[in-house]
Amino acid sequence: MSIALRSVAKQFGEFAAVENINLDVPTGALMALLGPSGCGKTTLLRIIAGLETPDEGQVLFDGRDATLWPVRDRKVGFVFQHYALFRHMTAFENVAFGLKVKPRRERPAAAEIRRKALSLLELVQLGWAGDRYPAQLSGGQRQRVALARALAVDPDVLLLDEPFGALDSQVRHELRRWLRRLHDELHFTSVFVTHDQQEAIEVADSIVVLNRGRIEQFGVPGEIYDLPASAFVHRFLGQVNELSVQLRQGRAHVGPLDISLGAVATSDEKSVALVRPHEIEIGPEAAGWPASVLAARVIGPIVRLLLCAEGQPVNEPLEAEISRERYETERFQAGTRVGLRFRRWKVYPSDGVELTPTTA
Amino acid sequence: MPSHIIGATFDLPAVTSQARRPRRRPRWGRLLLIAAALVFLGLFLVLPLLVVFVQALGKGVVAYFGAISDPMAWEAIKLTLFVAATAVPLNLVFGVAAAWAIAKFEFRGKNTLITLIDLPFAVSPVIAGLIFILLFGAHGWFGGYLRAHHIRVVFALPGIVLATLFVTFPFIARELIPVMQAQGKADEESALSLGASGWQTFWRVTLPNIRWALLYGVLLCNARAMGEFGAVSVVSGHVRGLTNTMPLQVEILYNEYNHTAAFAVASLLAMLAMLTLAAKSFLEWRQPELRHAVLQPRDRTSREHT
Repeated sequence: MSIALRSVAKQFGEFAAVENINLDVPTGALMALLGPSGCGKTTLLRIIAGLETPDEGQVLFDGRDATLWPVRDRKVGFVFQHYALFRHMTAFENVAFGLKVKPRRERPAAAEIRRKALSLLELVQLGWAGDRYPAQLSGGQRQRVALARALAVDPDVLLLDEPFGALDSQVRHELRRWLRRLHDELHFTSVFVTHDQQEAIEVADSIVVLNRGRIEQFGVPGEIYDLPASAFVHRFLGQVNELSVQLRQGRAHVGPLDISLGAVATSDEKSVALVRPHEIEIGPEAAGWPASVLAARVIGPIVRLLLCAEGQPVNEPLEAEISRERYETERFQAGTRVGLRFRRWKVYPSDGVELTPTTA
Repeated sequence: MPSHIIGATFDLPAVTSQARRPRRRPRWGRLLLIAAALVFLGLFLVLPLLVVFVQALGKGVVAYFGAISDPMAWEAIKLTLFVAATAVPLNLVFGVAAAWAIAKFEFRGKNTLITLIDLPFAVSPVIAGLIFILLFGAHGWFGGYLRAHHIRVVFALPGIVLATLFVTFPFIARELIPVMQAQGKADEESALSLGASGWQTFWRVTLPNIRWALLYGVLLCNARAMGEFGAVSVVSGHVRGLTNTMPLQVEILYNEYNHTAAFAVASLLAMLAMLTLAAKSFLEWRQPELRHAVLQPRDRTSREHT
């Protein structure tokens, strides 16, 4: 089932949670709503589910206006952030709930309900845990019960609110891959909310970046990372170095480096250049912006260098990433003199741009 | 609890254990404090309770049972049971409905509703009784209408039930609101998203989640409904065998210097109180969070508006 939002807006008292959202989720898509907390992503998901009614705009399911459809008629599976398992029911009863509450003429026979609930528990690899209560299961197991429960009613759409937020990183990684596989096998339309850019990039086909109730950018994961549409998106997806841009004789500079190429539109004194750590090239001192290494941190296969470039304040070091192999052959250490070049950068006017992602 | 702290320090090396051991109060000081507490408890709680039973049985078991099985006393017992059996179920419905509305929905006037629920706690029971006299009494607002239609409210059973309903209204709602608020709406929302109807959600999800708090509220409500004196006294008219509840019967018997009978009936109320306390302790033992339910909603999972 395809979902479309048309000029959707929702306010909570004075606070505009989402404003003028237009979005198309094609059938079979796996889409991530990504943004900092308070950006409106959960509200948007709840509007799609029918748990919230938009103040303005329309929600279309397969082109039909579903704005005022009650939750139970939408055929939507919703997985809550904290799972919301029924604590007085076993895992099996939780999964069977959606089938048991069907009106009598639609309700499958008891044996059929049992068979289906058990096979769903098998699907989420919890066949052995049917008679456990939620309190007796770990976070990851509860999450999978919640998924099985949502899948039991054969939803056309699966909505997940921060599905892996409360899990430790090992389990999270495993569940992400598992969700991706499940989606590919079962072919429903899925939308999930996350504040973790890594998760969005790893799992989703397409990403919507939200900020302050508005869509900042929509695109496929690689595109959003490589071609951010705004300074906010640039900052939110991955690490960035921020450098203030100086204008000299009609050309833009950062330190001694000429970055006019990426700053075509810049005539503003207060522009800011954003450079990702892996976009900084490190060479001999004479071949670039002279800098000295302050510290090196080995993080598995990569090494992060903290660098103080000439003319930059020491307490705002630049971060650059190099491979472990290079680090081991060239032996960078505190005090090593190097020269910096940028492989890529982007310049944004600094007014009207928040320096840090907003938090609620 | 000092014993607890000392117990924990045994795991540490001897030196630190010496250094960390809290300075103990002198032995006689502790004994004095404990004794004071015990004397206080004895004087103000245990002694009165004992007096009730001693007085009730003062003239022997035969007199005790005679007093209880006196037709007037028996009528009072039946009336009290009837009033409680009417008021408690009604307040059960009102209380659940009010708590459900307050805990699960946002609406204008919610704070006013919360204040109104607390009103019976704030108003003296005598005033509560007077309200009903003013409304339904012979010279009250609806007095003329009621007389014309031969309906008796005040000085009759309906008045007693109304007064009891009013006084016991907050008990169940007050017990449920914090529990329901703490549980949030996610369970209900997931039930709805799974296709359950409103009723199915209530019976299968909400009610099981609040059952212990509900039982607790019913217990307190019942105890008050049976024990209420002030409000009922104003509206009852003290017609013996007709509108006298147990507490009123106790007063009448006492005023007639019929101490044995008065205390015999009182002992029944006292036993009810003890039963209620026992059941309350059992519930608290089953569901420890009830103990603090009124004061602190625990791990409130308030949904962020993102």
